[in-house]
Amino acid sequence: MIDLNAADTRARIEAFLREAAGADAVRITRLERMSGGAVQENWALDADIEGGMHAGARQWVLRTDAAARVEASLKRSEEFQVLQFAHAAGLHAPQPLWLCSDMTVTGREFFIMRRLPGVASGHRVTREAALIPDRARLARELAENLARLHAIKPPQPKLGFLKTMLARDNVAHYRSYLDQLPGPHPALEWGLRWCEVNAPHDEETTFIHRDYRTGNYLVHDGGLAGVLDWEFVAFGNPLEDVGWIFAKCWRFAGKQLPVGGIAKADEFLGPYQRASGRTVSAQALVYWQVMAHVRWAIIALQQAQRHLSGVEPSLELALTGRIVAELEHEILALTRSNGKWAMGNG
Amino acid sequence: MGEKLLLFPIHHSLFTHNRIPMNDRPDAAELLEIARRTLLDEILPRLPEDLRYRALMIANAIAIASREHAAGDDGAQAELARLRALFSEQPKPVAGAALHAALAGYNRRLATEIRTGRFDDKERAALLGHLEKTAVDKLAIANPKSL
Repeated sequence: MIDLNAADTRARIEAFLREAAGADAVRITRLERMSGGAVQENWALDADIEGGMHAGARQWVLRTDAAARVEASLKRSEEFQVLQFAHAAGLHAPQPLWLCSDMTVTGREFFIMRRLPGVASGHRVTREAALIPDRARLARELAENLARLHAIKPPQPKLGFLKTMLARDNVAHYRSYLDQLPGPHPALEWGLRWCEVNAPHDEETTFIHRDYRTGNYLVHDGGLAGVLDWEFVAFGNPLEDVGWIFAKCWRFAGKQLPVGGIAKADEFLGPYQRASGRTVSAQALVYWQVMAHVRWAIIALQQAQRHLSGVEPSLELALTGRIVAELEHEILALTRSNGKWAMGNG
Repeated sequence: MGEKLLLFPIHHSLFTHNRIPMNDRPDAAELLEIARRTLLDEILPRLPEDLRYRALMIANAIAIASREHAAGDDGAQAELARLRALFSEQPKPVAGAALHAALAGYNRRLATEIRTGRFDDKERAALLGHLEKTAVDKLAIANPKSL
């Protein structure tokens, strides 16, 4: 973890902001690491701005790379462009302000975005009933926002750097990640083999978020106030995002509520299907949940490896290695009870 | 003569416990348990909000280590026996480093053969039975509440 609060670093960030905001003076009044974001670091940044169009007391977020990257996430400069695109498209993305690619400022690329109000913590959102008085409403807002996101089709000239990742591409990528990790993982190999044999024959390709789940959206006044963590976006099968938000591993304290621990299946699927015009079959939902657990298990192994390799000693990363058993257990449960080996799905 | 008789059981225990000398009580499990209880009962209530999560993570890490210590090699032995059965091989007792080397070898072979489709059809049920038992044994240590 870099220390942005070292006096000289902080002064360089202030100088960068003064220039970027066209201000006479910038004084950072608060700069502290926000919880969440094991892959990227988010820092709450409050600043007093004198002069220019941003004058006043501002509440921003500084987003920068953590010490080691996981899976294939976007570079900060690419994520900045994604946020510009998604914010303009009205997808509840935070508004990005400035990108800093000058490595002499903090040593890493970072960008500044507006800080949105609300609570993101998956533990709180699924436990504190007062945060979501009307669960069906939040589920509907999440579903309709996701349907808008999935209405964006390739090619998009502003997003030319995005990969296209359909079901079989995912299988190939995850196998290559497994091959780079020490030790064999037979249960994950089984999940991948199942995903390969049961891969859909025809897939639609749209803009997809690939981390649209509880813990990554902001709840404010009971409604959807923001969608965070746009570092994994790609073009791919929109049902991948639906499987991801349903996956058991993202239900936190709300294990009995399949949609991210906050709502019943129909409360999300109804509005999603109406708004998108797509049908989400039971098979597709199972398929993409299996893929979700395989993917999260591989990311968890990579995170544990960041600790084990000595690159980034961390209790949180170490414990992440021990959630893999739970993910494998769920992969086996899903593939066993859905035993039509060549079920085929659209 | 009497002294020699008294010493004998100690030498015996040194030999069977991989040369770890007999320690005084409390033993490893008892130390982990009291360390965890002290953290949760005495330290956690006085921690500021921003440190509570980390303290809970420490308590969780101690609990996992305690369960792993208590389980010993039982899970690994059972896993090896199932893997040998899956590959139609005879059971053969191994322990310690040889046990873990044997497991790694069989699991590499299993991973490769799953990927290339050997278990797609008639051996599928046997594979799933094995993987399920392995996952449950790992989960009983990592997070028994989820079972």
